[in-house]
Amino acid sequence: MKSFCGCTFTAVFAFVLASASAVAWFVHLFVTPLTWSLGVGAFVAAMGAAIAAAVLSADRTRPVRDAFGRYLNELSQSDSHTFCDPSETPMPRQLERSSWREVADELRRMLTEMGNRVRELETTRSAQEIRSRRALDETERLRSILANLGDPVLVVNGYDEVSLANPAAESLFSFHLEGAEQRALAGLVRCQQLVDLLLTTNHRETSGRRTDEIEIHDDAGNVHWYRATACRLPLFREGKSAQETGGQGTVVVLRDVDREKTLQKRNAEFVSSVSHEMKTPLAGIKAYVELLADGDADDEETQEEFLNVIDTQADRLQRLVENLLNLARIEAGVVSVNKNHRSLNEILEEASQVVQPAAEAKSIKLCVELSPLYLGVYADRDMLLQSAINLLSNAVKYTQEGGKVTLRSRAVDDMIVYEVEDTGVGLSEEDSQRVFEKFYRVKKDKDMAQGTGLGLPLAKHIVEDVHGGTLSLESKLGVGSKFTAAFPTAGTMS
Amino acid sequence: MGKRVLLCDDEIHILRAAEFKLKRAGYEVRVASDGEEGWELIQQEMPDLVVTDCQMPRLDGLGLIARAREHETTRELPFFMLTAKGLELSHADLAERLNVLGVISKPFSPRDLLRSIDEVLQPAAASG
Repeated sequence: MKSFCGCTFTAVFAFVLASASAVAWFVHLFVTPLTWSLGVGAFVAAMGAAIAAAVLSADRTRPVRDAFGRYLNELSQSDSHTFCDPSETPMPRQLERSSWREVADELRRMLTEMGNRVRELETTRSAQEIRSRRALDETERLRSILANLGDPVLVVNGYDEVSLANPAAESLFSFHLEGAEQRALAGLVRCQQLVDLLLTTNHRETSGRRTDEIEIHDDAGNVHWYRATACRLPLFREGKSAQETGGQGTVVVLRDVDREKTLQKRNAEFVSSVSHEMKTPLAGIKAYVELLADGDADDEETQEEFLNVIDTQADRLQRLVENLLNLARIEAGVVSVNKNHRSLNEILEEASQVVQPAAEAKSIKLCVELSPLYLGVYADRDMLLQSAINLLSNAVKYTQEGGKVTLRSRAVDDMIVYEVEDTGVGLSEEDSQRVFEKFYRVKKDKDMAQGTGLGLPLAKHIVEDVHGGTLSLESKLGVGSKFTAAFPTAGTMS
Repeated sequence: MGKRVLLCDDEIHILRAAEFKLKRAGYEVRVASDGEEGWELIQQEMPDLVVTDCQMPRLDGLGLIARAREHETTRELPFFMLTAKGLELSHADLAERLNVLGVISKPFSPRDLLRSIDEVLQPAAASG
């Protein structure tokens, strides 16, 4: 009995030691959850040793002791999931009948609790790992988007320092943020207008975006226009004050609006030119109508002269409006194009007949040298005719009396070509480059003939945009000009 | 002898209408088709007043006025501008910088042009 009591004491002492080691292991388990099974194993082994010491002292308890040992051995080789389901490790029958059952039950209950806790921790850890991986992926994705964004992006912190700049921004302002000793906004960004926009946005009380159109000069001195949109960033570090995080900061995105600006300027110039060109004939009409109405024209001859001016200026206005409409329609692509297989020579013949009276009036010899071959073009007859009339009448207008205008056609390789050559006043290099611009008129030749400055641009649009050809010019000041229109062939035959 | 007015414009029909109206009112009128020609006429025979278009070949209206302001004899020469240009011309700038008396917009009334010139050259007749 005494011996049994001693053994019992030893067993209880060993049990306490085993429990303590288990607690130590499970504390360790929180730090490195992956080693939980080793902890359980150690605990079970220690527990087993304790209980074995107890049962060894009493031979009469040997069957129970053996069963308990086997049970502990079984538990030690199990994983945490087994503890949660008693059917996985059923208790031996010997234990169910003995006083050891309570110890085994308690042991089982503790292990089950710990197993459940381990499972909870595992689930939590997995969820955190997934969230963390997603956050990393998202950060990498955003970094990649920002790096590949064509629009420059800058972020300024609460201390007015550049805290982030994508490659487009670094390239625009010629700096490299990584490793930069000085990050002050005013030092890195050489555009006072943008610096002012960022500083104002960064230090104002209210949020909301501000947009400004800014002018940036590149290293070569060229001016580029950008639309800058700046807005304040929310505080993004949880639990940190604005001072600790460097304030809220501001992000600015720059959008290149050079093309938009050029178009705006070109439109303004176009409207101004149209308005000027319309006002001039209108001025004539209004002035002469008033002179007639006031009775200033006393004799019939003067009255007729004034009426002729009104008539001429009204025609000029009408021509201008027609050319303008045709040009606008072709440019906008809203004109209905009726393309078909046509004979270029037939169209050119007709154009020469239209211009012939004007040439005769100036004693200009109009030579028509058309190819004897059938030159097939896939074209809109009316438009092609218009382009040829425009080139021919331009040649007649700017050729002095007694000069010569030649109209030719021929097949060159796989192209069909027609040329209008004159012995007129010719163009300087600068005028040659600008003569296809809308409303451009050569200053020195303005007195030679009336014009809208739209005939040549219209011809170019018809040849190039509508028919996929090319219209080029060779000219020599004081010698003459040659306009060459070339089209893809639609067939030639003799 | 009537007062001398110089008209500069590259549109012949505009010159003709203005010339006709002014001559009937008794003015002696000279015409030029660009600024250079106008400047030559100014030097040959000093006019009492110049009416000039803005956009002209060789030398435009602004160039002509600027050149006149550089010379002692023409520094105070009265100028009117007759132009189809709209807001791109700053009337205040023309008055302040080039001492232009006024800008008459095309399409214009020959009657109003005559009245403006009368106010400068014959103030008594214009007010009477």
